[in-house]
Amino acid sequence: MAHVLEAKPRPDLKKSVSKKLRKEGYVPAVLYGKETESTTVAVPSIELIKTLREVGRNGIIDLNIEGTDKKHQVIVHDLQVDNIKDELIHADFYEVDMKSEMESEVNVTLVGDAPGERDGGIVSHLLYTLTVRALPAEFPEEIKVDISDLNIGDVVQVGDLPENSKYTIMNEPEETIVTVLPPEQHDTTEETEEVAEPELVGAEDKEEEKEEE
Amino acid sequence: MLMPKRVKYRREHRGRMKGRAKGGTEVSFGEYGLQALEPAWITNRQIEAARIAMTRFMKRGGKVWIKIFPNKPYTAKPLEVRMGSGKGAPEGWVAVVKPGKILFEVAGVSEDVAREALRLASHKLPIKTKFVKREEVGGEANES
Repeated sequence: MAHVLEAKPRPDLKKSVSKKLRKEGYVPAVLYGKETESTTVAVPSIELIKTLREVGRNGIIDLNIEGTDKKHQVIVHDLQVDNIKDELIHADFYEVDMKSEMESEVNVTLVGDAPGERDGGIVSHLLYTLTVRALPAEFPEEIKVDISDLNIGDVVQVGDLPENSKYTIMNEPEETIVTVLPPEQHDTTEETEEVAEPELVGAEDKEEEKEEE
Repeated sequence: MLMPKRVKYRREHRGRMKGRAKGGTEVSFGEYGLQALEPAWITNRQIEAARIAMTRFMKRGGKVWIKIFPNKPYTAKPLEVRMGSGKGAPEGWVAVVKPGKILFEVAGVSEDVAREALRLASHKLPIKTKFVKREEVGGEANES
């Protein structure tokens, strides 16, 4: 089912107008593509979040702009978030060509419990996203990595992932996705010894100069 | 205790802490983080106390990243000394923190453990903080 998002045109690009739009519950956005001219729009913030939750980060959205007949098939190319207030500031919509391949980031999710973790090891997740090349409609929502047979010291690399006919992973095969590290001995004691003051950069040169004199 | 190995000058101007953090505002190494909501000077002693509180709670397991470094010296004059006669002696080291900065990150533990460890760490700091998760769509996961 196609997910439709209604947008309204945003001809005025002033900062004050964008601020007002945000107060009214809209997110200023821009639509662009290979053969699409840049258009500034505004979309309802709540609708955008709901749609993104449904379709995922790389899902296809039908963007309808008020006053025009053409439907745009877009993906969210970039999202600017206010990381203190957790509010959306701006969104970039990229009009996709459904027949040509493109690259995008896909999240990696770990599945299962590693036996190494039960033995005291620490699951170290190193790669949280993978760069995937696929047709826009074929992007997976997430790539699952099974860790249910990882013991201490075991590693899952990009090359270990099963090949999929729908998409290609563009990362280097030697890149590590997840590993189980041996238990770390945390230092929970307070350092009581007073450490000497840091030395000054160039202090040695001055001393040498004095000696020469 | 964290402090620089070499410095160019022993004393620095105090500076201002206007605006928000420019970088280090996202959880980039671990899964969970502690984000500053106010500007402050965080001393190396406070950082050390927070680290100990976290690691003590997490016992073994998990990994902690300290994302700030106290690279600014602060000075103080001795007690009962009249004003003037130059700047005081270096007293300690601070990290300049602005709102939005991720102070600590944690990985390899469950969310409940991470939340409690970071809560304990937050009590060692002179500012308001919030618990954040690795970025998710719409920021809905980042609830304090």
